[in-house]
Formats: sequence, structure tokens, C-alpha cells
Amino acid sequence: MFRPTLLRAGRLLATKVAPVAPLRAAVRVSAPVVSKPFAVSAIRFYSADAGALSKMEVESRVLDLLKGFDKVADSSKLNGTAHFANDLGLDSLDTVEIVMAIEEEFNIEIPDKDADSIHSVDQAVNYVLAQPDAH
Amino acid sequence: MPPVNPHRHQILSAYKYLLYLGRDYPHSKGYPWFREKCYNAFARNRAETDVGKIEEGLKRAEYVIKEIEALYYLKKYRTIKKAYESV
Repeated sequence: MFRPTLLRAGRLLATKVAPVAPLRAAVRVSAPVVSKPFAVSAIRFYSADAGALSKMEVESRVLDLLKGFDKVADSSKLNGTAHFANDLGLDSLDTVEIVMAIEEEFNIEIPDKDADSIHSVDQAVNYVLAQPDAH
Repeated sequence: MPPVNPHRHQILSAYKYLLYLGRDYPHSKGYPWFREKCYNAFARNRAETDVGKIEEGLKRAEYVIKEIEALYYLKKYRTIKKAYESV
């Protein structure tokens, strides 16, 4: 499909450019036609695994996000197992905001049902890790 | 843990949607101002247990959502109108 198109385009270009600079046009046009089919490295696998996130990375990104959240009462209690309500003094409305921020940070969508089960940093981290399309 | 409120999901999703809407709220203090107001409006009724009152509150939330949507439509309309008039 691609080769015939290229050939046709090349011929078209050749006829157009030919009167002005016949030699250079010929050289330029023949190049793509003669060149080998695409190198293997140029093929992109769109469904390939984009590289899974590590737990450490997810945790640090979640913690960074919480650090920037102005309603966190005591940022010294921020760690990998901090509970939103008990340790950080956040209520359910704040949790909604955190879930929204996590959705944006990792480009995922968290359904309400799952969002309701996220109450602590490690639950959020595990949820993100379980999402194949999080990045 | 307080007993699970049957309206909990509805309330939280209304809050979430309002926050999404508030990102472009045309106010000089922008989103933080909107978030504060929205949060306080929800937090004010934190202790509400009467089902009728809760449903009333949800209706109010829906009303506000519709108002903001209408505001955005109007804003868009006016912006486009202005753009065409200046041509």
C-alpha cells in the first residue's frame, strides 16, 4: 500500500521537477524507491508494555502530591502508610480531591466505587500499581 | 466509622463534578476560591442525618451544577459573539 503510493508520488515529483533540474530530481526521487524496506527498529509497538511503574516511584509521586495539598494538617506524618483521615486529618471530601489529583497524576480514571475504598497512602499506591495503563 | 450513608456516593460524585466544573470558574481568585466555597457548602451539612434534608441538599447541588454549566454556555456564547462582532 505504502510503496505504490511512494512510487506514484515520486513519479509525479519527477515530472514536475524534471524540466528545471533533471539530474538532481532523478536522484532525489529514486532514493526512497531503492531504499530497503523499513528497518526493524523503526517499528513501534503501540500495545507494548510502556514499562511498569515501580512501587517506590508511585509512592514518591503520591507523597509529593500530598505534600502539595494545603489541607494536610501535619506533613511530618506523611509516609507510605499514612491514613488520610487518622494521620493526615483529611475528611471524605478531601479524599475526593486527592483521588482526583491521583487520577490526573497517573492519567487513569478511578470509578467512584473504587475511589471510596482508598483511605490511605498505601491503598492508593496499590490501586495505581494494579492499573495497567497508569503512567 | 459513622453508619454508611446511602447517599454517600451521590454526594461525593456531585462534589467531584463540582470541583471539575470549578476549574474554569470566572472569578478573580480562581479555583482555590471556588474549592473553598464548595468545600464549606458541603461541610456545613456534614452532620445532616434527615434523609429528606439530604435529598434536598442533593437537589441543590444539582441545581448549582446546572447553573454553572449554563454560566459556561453563556460565557462561551458571549465570547464567540464578541469575536464575530469585531470582524
